[in-house]
Amino acid sequence: MFNRLFSLAVNTFKESIRDRVLVALVVIAVVVMASAKIVQPVAMGEAEKIIKDLGLSAITLFCVLIAILVGGRLVYREVEKRTIYLILARPVRRLEFILGKYLGLMMVLVVSLVVMTAGFYGVMLISRVPVSLYLIWSVVMTLFELAILTAVAVLFSTFVSPIASAVFTFMIYFIGHSTPLLKQLAGMFPSPVIKFFALFAYYILPNLNNFNIKGEVVHNIPLNFPGLLLSAGYAVVYSATLLMISVVIFNRRDF
Amino acid sequence: MSFSQRPVIEAVRLTKVYRTGFRMRRIQALVDLNLNVEKGEIFGFLGPNGAGKTTAIKVFVGLVTPDSGTAYVLGRSPKDHRVKRRIGFLPESPYFYDYLTAEEFLLLSAQLSGIPRNEIKPRVKEMLKMVRMDYAAHLQMRGFSRGMLQRIGIAQALLYDPDVVILDEPMGGLDPVGRKEFRDIIISLKERGKTVFFSTHILADVEIICDRVGIIIAGRMVKSGRLDEILTAEVESIEVTIKGATGKFRKALERVSLRVIESGDLIMLTVKNEDDVERVLAIAREASARVTAIVPRTKTLEDYFMSQLKTAGVQ
Ligand SMILES: Nc1ncnc2c1ncn2[C@@H]1O[C@H](COP(=O)(O)OP(=O)(O)OP(=O)(O)O)[C@@H](O)[C@H]1O
Ligand SMILES: [Mg+2]
Repeated sequence: MFNRLFSLAVNTFKESIRDRVLVALVVIAVVVMASAKIVQPVAMGEAEKIIKDLGLSAITLFCVLIAILVGGRLVYREVEKRTIYLILARPVRRLEFILGKYLGLMMVLVVSLVVMTAGFYGVMLISRVPVSLYLIWSVVMTLFELAILTAVAVLFSTFVSPIASAVFTFMIYFIGHSTPLLKQLAGMFPSPVIKFFALFAYYILPNLNNFNIKGEVVHNIPLNFPGLLLSAGYAVVYSATLLMISVVIFNRRDF
Repeated sequence: MSFSQRPVIEAVRLTKVYRTGFRMRRIQALVDLNLNVEKGEIFGFLGPNGAGKTTAIKVFVGLVTPDSGTAYVLGRSPKDHRVKRRIGFLPESPYFYDYLTAEEFLLLSAQLSGIPRNEIKPRVKEMLKMVRMDYAAHLQMRGFSRGMLQRIGIAQALLYDPDVVILDEPMGGLDPVGRKEFRDIIISLKERGKTVFFSTHILADVEIICDRVGIIIAGRMVKSGRLDEILTAEVESIEVTIKGATGKFRKALERVSLRVIESGDLIMLTVKNEDDVERVLAIAREASARVTAIVPRTKTLEDYFMSQLKTAGVQ
């Protein structure tokens, strides 16, 4: 089982690495980070914070784009191009197929994060900004957020087209970052129906705010590590649940 | 009937309905399909476009679940991993990961089939050589022609040395040399006791190598059996060609014939049986015309196929 999982993950990794979209996104991310150097003269004192903030934001944004764009066609493309026949006719469980695809994309995201972070530190060194390893914590939390988003994208890609999947995943990303709003919304409306749906959405959609600690790390505010650990655990459980749902959907399908 | 050995592939009243489009239109792809393929046989699965061949094959390799009826391969469900390990499958016009090289793809296939790690490399090399693709082992498959893809498809199907080989239109895209090589591969599989099941529209391929054939039309198995049973070697008609018969002799000849085709001073007569041939020869001798050819016509698979298509109302 683990051999097969590993082979499938490595294959997905190769697929993405040999894809121009991925390479382009990583390159653009680094370019964006470097562009912070241009705004430097505008505000001398703020330069450090702008570079750090922009860098971390770019890392998150572009990795989220990779998760959504590459993840959204991960399974769909195999079905559409019929490459899946040759995999599923072999002694491979559909569960292994989904997990393999997911883990492969996570491998891609880890590598992208590492490359972008290296680029980020490069930009900081060139800009003579004091370099701090504390910033890495933000990247680590981004990885957990990506774990959830990739699972969302994979779930969608088992039954809708890549474009629809990208749109839906992006919506979930967007709402996931405004879940407190949903709770407020639930409190604001007297209508029980709206209240119900707002609360339902609040509990069922991933709460992605917990993974955003850019403000803290940029401003050197102490982190709540037990809280972060909890968020990491949440990410693992949430992703696993989504993947199981994907497998259930996938198991019922004909090809 | 012997119960000691179950068929290698067995379909019992398979039914499959696809629903497509916005209005969920029903397409009945398989209708009560029954089929048996015995061990060591080469079985040809024949049918026109859209007859349901691919659907049936997908059931046999566990990609499609029938709505009703059951399929057994090697006595078990096609979804059973112990079965999948012993099946080699070539899909219809196969697509591959075009970002992989031929060798990378076969390595992946081998890993997924559970071939012991130390046997993988030599086995992949051997397969590439067998389908004469060793020269392209390190090229990305995105540049491959249809025939090259088909060869890689055959290689990946035979990778695990499967006991059952299920091929959907294996000859598609192959050139004449490729077809000949492929037939040789199939025959060598049979010699090693393997069971081969393949679909095709090409009747000549079936006539040369198949032990038995099944004919599927509009989702139903209309006939299956040994080729020599389906095409009883019985002579359907006899063609006699005669040179230099004129006037009243020609009239007499036309009377005993089913059909007459004239070309210059040659006439080709089609007669029913040997007695009629004798009559024709007698008339010809009387007319001192020369008989240049007597050719018996047996039923070909093509004739049979066409007549089945006509009775099924497909055309
Ligand atoms: N995934 C699908 N969704 C909807 N209809 C399908 C699907 N696959 C096949 N069909 C329909 O089922 C019928 C049988 O198709 P199938 O592919 O099994 O035929 P076939 O005998 O393999 O034909 P060909 O010789 O052209 O390959 C056709 O009418 C086809 O339109
Ligand atoms: Mg077909």
